[in-house]
Amino acid sequence: MLQVRNLHVSIDGQKILRGIDLDVQPGTVHAVMGPNGSGKSTLASVLAGRDGYEIEEGSVTYNGQDLLDMDPEIRARDGVFLAFQYPVEVPGVTTMYFMREAVNAVRKHRGQAELSAGDFLKLAREKINPLGMEADMLKRAINEGFSGGEKKRSEIFQMAMLEPKLAVLDETDSGLDIDALKIVAHGVNCLRSADRSFVVITHYQRLLNYIVPDYVHVLSEGRIELSGDKNLALELESRGYGWINDDVVPQAAAGV
Amino acid sequence: MPAIADRADVFLERFNDALARSADEPTWLLERRKRAMERFLQLGVPSLKHEEYKYTDLSALADGQLLFATRPGSAEAALPSYAAGGGSDQAAGADQQVLGHVPQGARVQSLAEALRAEPDLVQRHLATIADYEDHALCAVNTAFFSDAVVIQAERGAVLDAPIQLVFGDGPKGSLPRVLIVAGRNSSVQVVETYAGSGAYWRNTVTEIYAEENARVDHYRAQVESLDAYHTGRLQASQQRDSYVSSFSISFGAAVARNDIGTRLNGSGCECSLDGLYAVRGNQLVDHHTSIDHAMPHCNSHQLYKGVLDDRAKGVFNGKIFVRPDAQKTDAVQSNKNLLLSDQSEVNTKPQLEIDANDVRCTHGATIGQLDSEAAFYLQSRGIGADRARNLLTYAFAADALERIKVATLKEHFESLLLNRFASRES
Repeated sequence: MLQVRNLHVSIDGQKILRGIDLDVQPGTVHAVMGPNGSGKSTLASVLAGRDGYEIEEGSVTYNGQDLLDMDPEIRARDGVFLAFQYPVEVPGVTTMYFMREAVNAVRKHRGQAELSAGDFLKLAREKINPLGMEADMLKRAINEGFSGGEKKRSEIFQMAMLEPKLAVLDETDSGLDIDALKIVAHGVNCLRSADRSFVVITHYQRLLNYIVPDYVHVLSEGRIELSGDKNLALELESRGYGWINDDVVPQAAAGV
Repeated sequence: MPAIADRADVFLERFNDALARSADEPTWLLERRKRAMERFLQLGVPSLKHEEYKYTDLSALADGQLLFATRPGSAEAALPSYAAGGGSDQAAGADQQVLGHVPQGARVQSLAEALRAEPDLVQRHLATIADYEDHALCAVNTAFFSDAVVIQAERGAVLDAPIQLVFGDGPKGSLPRVLIVAGRNSSVQVVETYAGSGAYWRNTVTEIYAEENARVDHYRAQVESLDAYHTGRLQASQQRDSYVSSFSISFGAAVARNDIGTRLNGSGCECSLDGLYAVRGNQLVDHHTSIDHAMPHCNSHQLYKGVLDDRAKGVFNGKIFVRPDAQKTDAVQSNKNLLLSDQSEVNTKPQLEIDANDVRCTHGATIGQLDSEAAFYLQSRGIGADRARNLLTYAFAADALERIKVATLKEHFESLLLNRFASRES
């Protein structure tokens, strides 16, 4: 589904990613962990198509297409979804209006009929209630005045509405209390399926108790230094990220 | 008269014609017209040297040709769809017209009718509220207007529907003159729409007299031809406990200058002067507002929002006078602008003169661009780049649009903003 090859990315001349390789198969959940500044959010942004990043080298192929060559809205319509680390407030546009536009843009692209106002509302209610939110939220301006937890749940709601094939969750767990974390994780788990993949970017292992990954990758200084299964996350939790830099990287450099 | 003596021939010639046509008007009105003409000849069409017009070039108007040129009533200048409601079967493109039914409790009359039916009321208010002594363009209108619309809301009448006036093509529509007198405890909504085709100058004056505890909601929707000059003055006189709102929509015209003011003559008055302008190409839109707090315990609000694209220019100047007696004044002024291009520009300036000490006056002006992170957020959900820009432009204007209480009007301009950028995709 997704192949990242030797991806080098810089911002304003500063190198952030230094050769990322990542393969995501349909139906799998990949956790990308790493300390602050390791390039996790840059990876998420580049996958979603945010402006301001310079691709110096490498490629990203998504279902056989050159992902980096696609506009952000085309990526979204083709099934790429980014849950923002910091969802943007847009006063003046209701979540309802926004999501109806978005859902219909995606449906149109997929050759499906646009949803009527009534059908949209019915679908939105179905998707929003399991997230512990009221349909009233739809009448509020996008993220305006939302608490941190509400914003993150709204991201998961949007993901549920858009039914992506590849969802990238950028630190969706940061700042959530345990109850909100469980709700968010439940929302994600409900969407897991054989043809949908997730890249879960997180700083903390805790989320992975609830969204159990198939693979865990550790990002450090712009490179994936270590990959493993879910037990790697637990090891990181007990040993800390310092272990990567102190032990794993030197060993790798020495060719051990 | 040295200022424009050599260019005033057309005005002078036309004035003699106008006087001949107005021969059966009462003496007081003819005197006011003559005085207005005298003042206009002294003041001339304001030039860029005039402090109040330093960004707004009206030199093309100085010889009067654009005002008096005969224009055929053109069917091309179709009425905006929102104004077509109300069961009117009148043809579009007419000089001026009242659309739809006149609600119970209101009277809408021509100048001649009003002079017959209510001579004293007309004499008391017509050309006594909008000042032609110091405002040349108001003087031109006062000297030359050939007809007026006189709207009265009876004492205590709460009108159930807006009164819609449309000014289209034709010489009569070039100088719209409206007088609105809202009787004690009455409530009236008036929508004035200006639309035309080709190159012309429309110069409007609307006077509002709000009696004690009356409420007047006034809307002006300016969707003139993009080759037109539009200058307009709206001036209100508010008595005790009255409420006047003005909403100025300015989307059309090559150059549009709107002077909007109210004088709060009694305590307990409130006014809300708001506006939304959206211009592109080489358009210029200029709002000058003036709120005169003469008495204590009055509130005024102003919210003007502008969307500017291409090489368009915006001007906002907001005057607030707080007279020595006007203690406990609460005045809020805000002008916010969204620049969609590098070459668009805005000149915005608050102008507060405060002569009382126990007042609250706040003002703020902002000039910004679309939030690229917000645009990316919308795009990342599958919404196209142009559509995202439209949505964010609409979002910027949303709080101003909320102040339009006539649903058809609001929906029309909402949709204009939402479709401002043609989609690149089918």
